[in-house]
Amino acid sequence: MVWSKVSPVTDPDPSAPPTPRVVDLAAVVEPDEPEPVSPAADDPNLTPAQREEAARRAEQDRRDRRLVRRLKEGGDERAFQELVQTYQNRIFGLMLRMINNRQEAEDLAQEVFIIVHRAIGTYRGEGRFYTWLYRIASNTCKNRIKYLKSRNFHRSVEIEDSPQAQLPAAEGGAVVTFQSQVPGPEATVEGKRMEVIVQRELGALDPEHRLLIVLRDVQGLSYQDIIRITGLQEGTLKSRLHRARVALKERLAPYLR
Amino acid sequence: MAEQSPTEADALMSAYLDEELAPEEAAKVEKLLAESPEARAELSGLQNMLKLVKALPEVVAPPDFYEKVARKIRRRRVFSMEVLWMLILPFQVLSVVLILVVAATYMLLHLDNDPSVKLEKDPTAQLPPPEAPPAATPGP
Repeated sequence: MVWSKVSPVTDPDPSAPPTPRVVDLAAVVEPDEPEPVSPAADDPNLTPAQREEAARRAEQDRRDRRLVRRLKEGGDERAFQELVQTYQNRIFGLMLRMINNRQEAEDLAQEVFIIVHRAIGTYRGEGRFYTWLYRIASNTCKNRIKYLKSRNFHRSVEIEDSPQAQLPAAEGGAVVTFQSQVPGPEATVEGKRMEVIVQRELGALDPEHRLLIVLRDVQGLSYQDIIRITGLQEGTLKSRLHRARVALKERLAPYLR
Repeated sequence: MAEQSPTEADALMSAYLDEELAPEEAAKVEKLLAESPEARAELSGLQNMLKLVKALPEVVAPPDFYEKVARKIRRRRVFSMEVLWMLILPFQVLSVVLILVVAATYMLLHLDNDPSVKLEKDPTAQLPPPEAPPAATPGP
């Protein structure tokens, strides 16, 4: 079965002993840097959609700042709860797409918020909370991947284990036809199968490439946000993102028509 | 794109897909696309791949996600206090024992040097004879 192909960094063997979760805060928490002011929502050069996005983002930033202040000054657990609930889906989604195992992703996402709770005193409020949180998440994730790699963990991904799902189009396997995105039972089944394949091939990419694709193409972050999260230069980000996309396109080529 | 370095070409193609190019750079890429079937095929392949990736469903965290985080924070807080106490306790005991040993040693040494205590312990022991008064010097 072709499914024996395993991603180099996927999930720990369930029979393996529990791995330590001792986190070195200094390794994952970086000070927040001042960020340039986002375009104002009333900037006449913006399109209506961009203006709407800028307004939503500004409102979110104001809300985050209020919550962080309450958490820092009074240890307000309700404020922390609001922060967690605001970002839990995005952080969990990032971990799931990066690690490709639900339980591991959930544990890691929880770890990120525990680190935030411990390190909130070091957040100076000069940059956006959102990018600071994402930086912690991506550092935590990269450290975990490195750890799993060093332990040589291998496991196939959590997917429907049908042999046909693994075959390229030429051999009767799943084929991407974009009509299949129209809702319907067959489209749903095929959509699920493609999701599994895309996730598997994504998991086989180099972690740096995978992170860029997840941030940009799965989560839809802007170039500026990714630059702040990863610390890459703009030119490096553009060329590395392109290389990542080309690598993924090549891996998915057998399933594309 | 043949005259450009691969990195520059990569950056342009990627940014073009994301509509992140300045108008003059976008015009360069469009010119290339108009002239090169390979570039068009590359762009089309990337667009198809991106459609797939962007179609990945949004992931939702479990409903009890926050409760689990809060529980772990509480558990670690208690655990860290317990561990701290367990770590400190032996040193505290050791310190007390050390102080007692030093005090006892000091007292024993001090008692051994005190003659009245020796007499109490052993009544047969003789006190040293009192020192003889100095001999009177004969007068002239």
